[in-house]
Amino acid sequence: MVNRKYSPKEIALGAAFILVLLVIVTFYILYQSEAIQLGYKIAGLEDRVARIKEEIKKLETKKAGLLSLRRVEGIAREDLGLTDPKPGQVLYEGVDIPREKKGS
Amino acid sequence: MRGLFSNGMRPRAVALAMVLAVWFVAAFGRMVHLQILNHGRLKAEVLEQSQTDMEVLPKRGTIYDRNGKILARSLPAPSVFFSPLKSESATGQMEQIARLKSLLGLSEKELSRIRTRLQKKDTFIWIKRKIDPEAVGRLMGLNIKGIFLQDENKRAYPLGTLAAHILGGVGIDDNGLAGVELQYDKLLEGEKGRRLILRDARRRAFQFETLKEAVPGNDLYLTIDETIQYIAETELEKAMAACGADWGTVVISEPKTGEILAIANRPVYDPNDYPPAVPGDGVNRAIQHTFEPGSTFKIITAAAARELGRVGLGEIYDCREGSISVGGSLVRDHKRLGILSFPEVFIESSNVGAIMIAQEIGEQNLYQMIKAFHFGERTGIDLPGEEYGICRPLSSWKKSSLRIAIGYEISVTAVQVLRAMDVFATRGRLIRPSISLSAGVRGLSSPGSQAPLKVLSEGTASELAEIFKRVVEEGTGLPARLEGFDIAGKTGTAQKFDEDLGRYSSAKHLASFVGFVPADDPIISMIVVLDEPKGLMQYGGQVAAPVFRDISARVLRYLCAAPKPKAEILVTAKMAKTSRP
Repeated sequence: MVNRKYSPKEIALGAAFILVLLVIVTFYILYQSEAIQLGYKIAGLEDRVARIKEEIKKLETKKAGLLSLRRVEGIAREDLGLTDPKPGQVLYEGVDIPREKKGS
Repeated sequence: MRGLFSNGMRPRAVALAMVLAVWFVAAFGRMVHLQILNHGRLKAEVLEQSQTDMEVLPKRGTIYDRNGKILARSLPAPSVFFSPLKSESATGQMEQIARLKSLLGLSEKELSRIRTRLQKKDTFIWIKRKIDPEAVGRLMGLNIKGIFLQDENKRAYPLGTLAAHILGGVGIDDNGLAGVELQYDKLLEGEKGRRLILRDARRRAFQFETLKEAVPGNDLYLTIDETIQYIAETELEKAMAACGADWGTVVISEPKTGEILAIANRPVYDPNDYPPAVPGDGVNRAIQHTFEPGSTFKIITAAAARELGRVGLGEIYDCREGSISVGGSLVRDHKRLGILSFPEVFIESSNVGAIMIAQEIGEQNLYQMIKAFHFGERTGIDLPGEEYGICRPLSSWKKSSLRIAIGYEISVTAVQVLRAMDVFATRGRLIRPSISLSAGVRGLSSPGSQAPLKVLSEGTASELAEIFKRVVEEGTGLPARLEGFDIAGKTGTAQKFDEDLGRYSSAKHLASFVGFVPADDPIISMIVVLDEPKGLMQYGGQVAAPVFRDISARVLRYLCAAPKPKAEILVTAKMAKTSRP
């Protein structure tokens, strides 16, 4: 068996080839790693969006409870001292109701 | 060349080979034992230890009122479960779980259940279902091995008891148990999903895999109006407090469409804590309770007389006696009413006059009209558990059965009576009441979409509506009169049958009022029923009619229905007399 001697040009070419290969592999790994990291980030953000949507629903439900007519009427009557309007105090938009003349 | 196993090396090499061969055979035998002979059992054991297949409940659809206000919604509420480590003793595991007692509010009963399950060596044990999401942080901070969380949803009813009997309630697995939650369970529930939890050798969960995504349920829009429902409930509450009735119900509908705007019941329960502590509180009295209606049923007698019996409006009835015998039982008026015309019989709600009319038109015509109004049948309202009521076939009528003309010997629900009154409001059409606006999705039929039945001619319905208007203007329904609006209605006061006495009680009544407003172009129709009002005032006109008036006033104002100018209101002599101080 005879060992073939490589010329410096061949060695340089081989080294360059290995270097390019290494660069490609490195970039591929970096790319994959970055893609995975972004995947985690996207999944995290999607999870956050879902949680925020749930939070919005929760707040909407809480708002519905806070705006319940029983509560609002309680505040209006007890805290603000409001009372039911008397017949003459209610105005109907777009409806022409002849008002009683003063003194009549 | 020197052989490898020459000289003293050879026996040792042979011995080593033998040992290796034995080891190999033993290992191979063990592998056959594990992989082939015990394969099924061991695989199941491994899967049990390394995987947990869990059902994921879907998010239940939201229920809204007709204006899009939230009535019921499912919100995240994680559930805590325990998946024990086999290496630890049941006592040790129980000690760990006991650390959660105060945080999760575990009762002794719950701890006992967990202890029993641990002793049975169960691999999945619920500790607490649907906990407060805010407790999760503190729970995980305790770092108890084997404790996991499962995402679940809890039904929230933000308006508390409002419309409780319409909404119903759900069970621990979010399945509908009553009300629209039960009626539209399939629509609301969605589809269950499945999740696989993968564990390592120490049974720590390291991966959650979704095998099937849970599909959320559809939303449901009801015909209910939150504000009208609130008005009905508050006014019913006031009336109950004032008259001390045992129970009460108010149903408000839109007569032209049959859409129910409100169903209020007292007593009530909080659907957030379903099932109710007192089972009777869960009964929807509007559809699940039957009663003898009394005089409100005279609207059917009037319809039969005009439509089938050809009784003239000018006919007169001698009610001076104040009583009449029907099949051996005596029927009385609340007072001697004298000689009454056909309209006056209903305006004054004369039992004697109504019996005379029934005798005149005959049982056949009366029964035909009762069946035309579909009494003794469900109205078809899209709520579960609706009662049929009792309407005996004509063949089993006795002579006393003619008392059906005044609302006895028949059993009805409040919704049935309201639907009957709606026939006059719609000038002759019998419309199926409905509670949902959006039941049409997913192929479910919308009850309101069913074509109405024509049960009365327009002329008869209009004529009788005019008579029912006079009931409020000058008759027994006077307390229902509302300034600026014409109301058509009918009062009812039914004596209740006392099982102990074996006869109708003179002290126990069921008071009611049914009507619609404005009489000429109805916006709403309503029935008010109060059971056993206490005190001096027990008549429908005294206790139920004012509730009708107060609810109507507030609802019409809310719906921006302007009152008629004063000049247009016809002032009768009776009205003028009653308005004096």
